[in-house]
This record gives sequence, C-alpha cells and structure tokens, in this order.
Amino acid sequence: MTLKTQITLLIGATSFVSAKVDFAHEVLPIIRENCAECHTNGKYKGGLSLDTREALLDSETVVPGDSEKSLLIEVLTAQDEDERMPHDADPLSADQIAVLARWVDEGLAWEKGLTFKKKTWKAPLGHQKVDLPGPEGGNPIDRIATAYFKKNRVQPPELISDARFLRRVSLDLVGLLPSKSELENFVTSDLGLKRKEKIKQVLSRDLDYADHWMTFWNDLLRNDYAGTGFIDGGRRQVTGWLYRSLKENKPYDQFVRELLNPTAESEGFIKGIKWRGNVNASQVREIQFAQNVSQLFFGENMKCASCHDSFINDWKLEDAYGMAAIIAGKPLEMYRCDKPTGKKMDAKFLFDELGAIDKTSSRDDRLKRVAELATAPGNGRLARTIVNRLWARLMGRGLVEPVDIMSNRPWSEDMLNYLAWDLAQNGYDLKRTLSIIVSSRTYQSATVVASKSGEGFVFEGPSSKRMTAEQFIDAVWEITETAPSKIDAKVERGSEKARVVRASLIKSTFLMRALGRPNREQVVTTRPADLTTLQALELNNGREFVDYLNRGGTKLVAEKEMVETLYLEALSRLPSSLEKQVARKILGGRVTPDSAADFLWAIFMLPEFQFIN
Amino acid sequence: MSKPLEFENRRDFLKKLGTASAATLAMGAPRSFGDEIEQPEARADCCILLWMGGGMAAPDTFDPKHYEPFRNGLKVSDVGSTFPAIPTSVSGINFTEGFEEVAKVMDKGTLIRSAVQPDLGHILHSRHQYHWHTGYVPPQTVAAPHIGAWMAKVLGQRNEAMPAFIDIGQRLEGVGEKEELKAFHTGGFFGSEFGPFLLPYPDQAIGAVQPPNGMTPDRFANRYKLYKKLISEGLVGKSGSEFQQESMLQSMEKAHRLLSSRESSAFDLTKEDEKSAGKYGKTRFGQGCLLARRLVESGARFIEVTTEYQPFKHWDTHEKGHATLKRLKSEIDQPIAQLIRDLEERGMLDRTLVVIASEFSRDMIIEGVPGSNARDQTTHKVDVISELKHYGQHRHFTGGTSVLMFGGGVKKGFQFGKTADERPFVAVENPLAVEDLHATIFQAMGISPKTSFDIEGRPFYATKDGIGKPAMEIFS
Repeated sequence: MTLKTQITLLIGATSFVSAKVDFAHEVLPIIRENCAECHTNGKYKGGLSLDTREALLDSETVVPGDSEKSLLIEVLTAQDEDERMPHDADPLSADQIAVLARWVDEGLAWEKGLTFKKKTWKAPLGHQKVDLPGPEGGNPIDRIATAYFKKNRVQPPELISDARFLRRVSLDLVGLLPSKSELENFVTSDLGLKRKEKIKQVLSRDLDYADHWMTFWNDLLRNDYAGTGFIDGGRRQVTGWLYRSLKENKPYDQFVRELLNPTAESEGFIKGIKWRGNVNASQVREIQFAQNVSQLFFGENMKCASCHDSFINDWKLEDAYGMAAIIAGKPLEMYRCDKPTGKKMDAKFLFDELGAIDKTSSRDDRLKRVAELATAPGNGRLARTIVNRLWARLMGRGLVEPVDIMSNRPWSEDMLNYLAWDLAQNGYDLKRTLSIIVSSRTYQSATVVASKSGEGFVFEGPSSKRMTAEQFIDAVWEITETAPSKIDAKVERGSEKARVVRASLIKSTFLMRALGRPNREQVVTTRPADLTTLQALELNNGREFVDYLNRGGTKLVAEKEMVETLYLEALSRLPSSLEKQVARKILGGRVTPDSAADFLWAIFMLPEFQFIN
Repeated sequence: MSKPLEFENRRDFLKKLGTASAATLAMGAPRSFGDEIEQPEARADCCILLWMGGGMAAPDTFDPKHYEPFRNGLKVSDVGSTFPAIPTSVSGINFTEGFEEVAKVMDKGTLIRSAVQPDLGHILHSRHQYHWHTGYVPPQTVAAPHIGAWMAKVLGQRNEAMPAFIDIGQRLEGVGEKEELKAFHTGGFFGSEFGPFLLPYPDQAIGAVQPPNGMTPDRFANRYKLYKKLISEGLVGKSGSEFQQESMLQSMEKAHRLLSSRESSAFDLTKEDEKSAGKYGKTRFGQGCLLARRLVESGARFIEVTTEYQPFKHWDTHEKGHATLKRLKSEIDQPIAQLIRDLEERGMLDRTLVVIASEFSRDMIIEGVPGSNARDQTTHKVDVISELKHYGQHRHFTGGTSVLMFGGGVKKGFQFGKTADERPFVAVENPLAVEDLHATIFQAMGISPKTSFDIEGRPFYATKDGIGKPAMEIFS
C-alpha cells in the first residue's frame, strides 16, 4: 500500500465525531515537534514561516481546502530524501501526515491568538492614561474604534435595526428576550435617544440583571447549588452574597475585597473544595486559592507553577506558593511535583512590586492585605481583566485572547486601557462599563466574521455569540410558559411569586449540562461555542425539551396569529411571506397541539434563535 | 471526505474558517512534549467494561481465601472468605461459590489478582471511581476525561451512526453522590462530543435513538424537512452565515442521521429473539450486558455496563455483606458468562476486550491498606460475629483487587499476579497500579499510555503523567 492510499484510507475512516481536526490537540504538537525549529520564531528556512496562519498562507505552500495541491503536504511524502521534510530527520508517520492533510482540507483552522513568535510585548501593570482620538464628545469606544478602523483600513460595519438592537441588548444585559409589546413599543417610538433610554431602563432592572449575571459569576467562582464537596461540608456556596452583590451592583473593587478577605457569607470562594482524604500537593486548598485568584482576577495561569517552575509562562513554583502562603494557616512547605522540598515559602502577592505582605502577620491580616494589593490604585490588571471579560461577553471575542492570558497583547491597547481606567476612575461601577460598551455604535453594529485571526487579528466588528444553556432555556420557558415553579438558589428577590423562574437559579439539569452548563468544580471562563451532535440529539428527542415543546404546543394552539407572534417573541422580527408559507405547512390545515409543537421546535432550532446576532 | 461546510464560494469559505474555534484553548508559548510516541498495534477494536461499582470484594468473588461458614461466635479474624471456593475450567484457578457460570469460561480469559489502588487517607467511592475512570486522582485543575472519552477521541467511532462511548446502567440523577458521579462521566476537556451517551435503563435504550415518544417517523422526518426549508428561507439561508451556525446545522444533520439509521434497532432489546435474550436474565445488569453485545455488534467503540453504583447498595457493603453478595452474584453470573459465549460464538471475542473491574476490593477487617489510618467505615464494628449482618466484607481494601479480562488478545486461562494466602491479602506478586492497568487496556486498544494532548499549554497524558506501563505478560 502506498502512503497516499494509506492516507486516503485514514481520511475515509474519519467519523462524524472527529469530523474536524482539532488544531490545538492534533496539529499543533506535530508542528512543534517537527517543523518549528526551522520555520518559526525568526528562523524561516526556505522563506517559510509557520508563525501564524497568515504567514503560512502568505507562503503559498498551502491551498486551504485542497491538500493535494498543497506543497506543504507534498514535501512530507517526497521520495527524494533531499526534498522530503523534515530535513535530516525521520519522515512523519502516515497518521501525522493524514492529520495535516485533513487540516489543510478543512481549511487550515488555527487557534485564536496563537503565534510561534516569542513575545516582545510586555503587559503593563499600572493604569495607562489614554488620550481619546477624534473630536470631543461621542462615545469613547467609538472614538477609539474609528481611529482603529481608519488605521487598519476596515470599513466599519453597518448599524443594526432597532429590533435587532433590542434583542441583542436585552439578551446581553439581562439574558431575556424582549417581549412582543416591548419590541413593538420600542420600534415604533420616535424618541430621539430611544436606544440610550432603553439601555438605562434595561440596566435598571436590578433583579433581571442579577439573575442573568449569576450564570457568568457562578462559572467564574465555581459556585453552584449542588455538586462535589457539598455532601460533607467540604465546600460552601457564595450564592446569597453573590446575588445581593449583583443586585446592588456592588463596586467591583469592593466585590473582590469581599471575596479575598471574606465574611462568613462570601468565604466559599477562597476556601475552595476540600476533599476528604489526602490530595496531591498541587491541589490542596491553599494552592487552589493561588490558582483561582490568579486566573480569575488577573488572567494569569498558575497551574503549571503549582507543581514546578512553569514552561509556558514566567511564573515559578515560589510565586504559586507565595500566593498560597497568604491563606495558609501555618508556614507552607513547598512541594515540587508532589515531593516536599524542605523549603518554606512566605506570603507574597503575585505582583509583588505593588507591596509586600508582612510575613509575621496573622492570616486575617494577610487576607486583608492581599485584598488591598489586589485592588490597589497601581494595579491596573484587576480592571483590565474584568473589562476584557465583559467585552468578550458582549462582543463575542475579547480585546485580549484567550481571556485568561492577560499578558497577551490586546488588539487595541487604547480600548483596553481606556475601559480599565474608566472603571477604576468611576468607582468600579461595572454597569457603567457595560453601558459604555452597549451605547457605542461599535456594539450596535452588524456582526461580522473576522477575516484575520491569530496574532494578526483585526477587529472588524462584533461577532455573534451562541446563547448560554441558561439563556436558551429561559427563552424556551418564556415562550412555552413552562418554567418550573420555584428556584433552588437561596437568594433574596423580594416577592418570589412575582418573579420569573430563571435557569441560572436552578440546580443544573440534564438538558442544561447537555447544552454546556459546566460542572463547577473548576473555574470556567469560556464555554464551548459549538453545538455538538450529542447536544443536537438531546434537542431532538430529549425528554425534558420534548416536554416543554408539547406543553408549549398545547398553549400555542389557542394563539391568534401564532406565526407572527412566535417570530416576534423568538426572533424579534416578523416572518417573510415565504417563511409564513413554510410555517403554515408545518402547522397543517388545522393546527393541532402536535403541529404547534413541531413549529416551536423548528423555531428553537434556527441558528438565528440560538445565536445572539 | 466530505467538505464540512458549503459556502457560496471558496473565498468565503476560507474567510469564514477564520473564526473556527477549537474546543479547548491552547495557551502560552509553544513547547515540545518530548519524544514522538508510537501507537501500539491494536489487538481489539472495541472495549466493554463491566463495572462493579461500590468495591467488589476479591475474597468473596475471584480470589478465595480461608472460608468459614457463618455461625454465632465466629471470630472475624478467622474469616478470609464468606463463600467456599469452587473450581473453574482452569485447574489451579478457583473462584467463590455463586460464580459457577463465569467459572466455566475462565479458560477464555485472564484473571489479574494483583491490582492495587492508592490509599487516599479516607476511602471514598467517588474519588476512587473518578481515579479508576480517568486515571487521575481528584481533584485536578482541569476536568479529566473518562477512559471511554479517550478512546472516542483517539480512536474515533467505528461506525458513524453509533456513538463511540456508551454508558449503560448508571443514573446520574436520583442517586446518592450523583454530583460526584457526574464529574467523571464526562468527556472532560475533550468536550461533550466525546462524552458518554447515557442509557441508564437498558430496556428503554431505544427511546434515546428514536423520535420522541408519540411522534411517528413520518412526522419526525417531515418536521426536519420543513425545518430545513425554513432555514433556507430565513436569515441563514439568505445572507450566508457564520461558521458556528453552519457547524450547528451540521450537528443537527448528524443527530438526525443517527435517529433515522438502521443501527438504531440495535438499541431495541425487544428485537432480540426470546431464547437468546432469556439467557441474560431479567435484571438491569443482565439486560445491560445484552445491550452491550448488540451495540458492539453494531459498531460501538467503548461501552461501560455497571451494576449501578449507589451508596450502600450492591457491592458497597457496610453490613450484611455475605447476603448481599449472594443475591448480586446470582444476578450477574449468568449474563457475564453469556456475554463471553455470545461474543465468541459470533467470532468477535478476539477483537473485543471485556474488562470486569471495580474501584477497590474489600476486607473483613482492614480499611485501606495494612497500617492505614483511614477511618473504619463498617456499620457494625465487632470482633466476634453474632448476627448475619456482621458476616461479610465490610471494609474498603486497596491492597489487592481482582480484574477479569477476556478477548482483545489477552491470554486464555491465565492468572497474573497474586495476593497473600493469609491476611493481609495484599498483592505479593506483580502489583498493578491503576495507571498500569489502564496502560494495559490502552495497549490492547492500540493507544500508547504516553498519548498526550496539549491542555492549557500543558501536556495531559492518557495515563497519569504518561508513566503507565502495560502488563505485557497477559497478552498472548
């Protein structure tokens, strides 16, 4: 069998589960081990650079979508040893070549932000003052974006319609679809500043706002209403405190201080999860503290350094243990790869240039001190990390990517620095930041697909986002009127009877898990964006979802103008005449609960429904 | 191969691929993970794990010790086994009473008597089950995938209309420690695409792969057809669309293919002829074994069938151990033997690895390993037995556990490792740690224990830190 047929066979055998080659896991290791030495980071033998996707495309050695026409693949199988790559090394295995060929065939996917070029840029720690470009007045984001677009020769995307704006801003800020009447009132209003007014009004719905942002913060603080550790008191919720903090729009610096130097109500976060029995030294509660605090508040990965000096960033074992020692009850001995080193580590803050922690002070004093350092005026990283997370939620992609590596360079330093500085200057008011972003023309623009990713990423406008499990289920409950009767979260929402039950306040169900609500044992900052086959199966015949459809269908039958109503409620628009025709076909001559349920299903399965566009 | 997406033109296609997002974010600077690994040649195409959740006591199952029948006044320390030994089809290998049927097929498999687990200081089923299923002791900084997810990820599906990883018989709702169970019944960092397809009740499995209850196939097909028409008239159809949205439609298409495929009848136990179905018995585990056989016949890659884990139920005997095991053995003896026979009869046993295992063993006296300070968790702490409820293996024992394997290239009628004849019944020959046992299973499946993926910039291996070593002696 020739190598080519072997490859063909291997490709033929790929299944739907692994239909797409996974760049990070399958392609990247092959490039690192076999190609990187001669073709990345300043060394570009034969003129070929594999630093970024763009560099590779520029080399014209690949034809995305066609591996057979790609020189890159051809040279791997060359018979002549002088031509074959890698030079002076064993040829790649048939499996490896097949992976690369599929990767090319599938269009050369690349990891967001990944480059082989070593960083020359260093993230600043302090706040950076930004002189806003362009004329005075106007939204600061738009001023920065306008200058940015001009410099990068990007045609700014078009402004979206009122209806689409309302759907987007409502889902983004409070997680709910606008009601039909709200939509009608808004679209027909001829108030000059109606979008501005609407933003103010939506943000003032304190309880809806808190309900929605519980999803985001529970993921980040790995807080849940049931889960590992609760069974034996090895873990505590911060639910009541968190909800109240969101409801009150607690200043973010105070919010962070209350988590780091907690009261009984908010101590669940720094306490981590205590497992009965012995655990690996890199997973004791003190180290969980070091990892979670570094990741969550400052976008720094301390996981490697918890075991040994990191290979992937500059953090050392001492840095991880320095952070861990802050919360430790007694001097903490350092363990390297689960073996004691005999060295004790004193408490030290991640960014120790901000100030020292008195090693003789009590644990309570150390926690108080770390809360001060974390929110010190000189610590711009705290604000930059959170505004980047908020930007990513609203715009579909962070200013810095991945959002947990804040040492990466943002695509606009001005934008990041401005928003962070503005937050710190204005009492760490997160709603203000949200308001500035959604008030911008930049946010209120049509979603785009970025034409350049990776290091060469250029911002061309917002990207669409998939609804979270909670948003999807809330919307389904709203439309089918099938929400359960009570919440699980112990939170104060005034008269509970008057409130809509929200998925974020319910213990995770099978359907929620299937749609991506994580087991919150680890901090989760990004949920997977793609709908998987098993998820699609669940949406086709899963008991929970089918039950909502059937109950919804029974209610919908009685509705007049059900097609128009459903389009308005679910998609915030009216159906076209062609869509109406298809809808009537689904509903049949005489609408029955079954046919109404099928129509509901079809609407809920539309990408237009499941994505925030 | 089929193009994953259809776009109006190629330029558009390329443009849109720019937003493709990998399931996991790779972080940090590039680095090499050492030597290139070589995948071993696969001896098996699929794997069935028969999971004895709750701690299967070796001395009362596959590793008989000194037997003392129940009597008032019996000293606990005098008892090794609470069942007498019985011979198997292999001379020199004995089981205990109640496994007469499995004993007859011992000549087709390998018995490992020396599996060992770490003493984690406080024995917890959830932690040890997590360890056994993922290869990593929890907690971990990232979500570790189940070994079934590893197989799904590394080997892919055998049949594209059949989920690669299927879990039969374990409910994740309505049972104690459910949250802990959920933590390892996942694809972990590989994402839910590689996670388990859950079939808690074998006799209802067909429901998971057919149109929803009460919906005719015609209505189901029509619903999908019109849905696609609605899309082509709507936003996506008209304006072209974005990568993620296209990818969503693709997943819908795949799900629909499974729901309308021929293979779905494999999930339907009523399709099995009565005579052969009867040989598996009516218990949930027996039905699970039958379902597993049907699904591997139809191309599943990895199947776990469990005697459902529930705290203090089944193998989890904190009291009345003998009586409970007597009942349990009567439920599983016949189906296990039948599964092996059926696979052999169909010529599939050679390429199917069947593993019967548990998170640890049990002992009458010792909790953990000898000398451990783990808390004694028996319900009745007595030195002298006066009631039947005292009679059984009521402590969690991690020093020597039996694992039975069939097919997939393992030796026939072979014993690997042994435990001491006298208490403590610790492994005294060829102790096999969890990572080594996994390496052995992976070896059979053609996966190197050093197989690794780049997770958050760090290598994450199929066996703990890539150190697992397969017990090559067990392969013929």
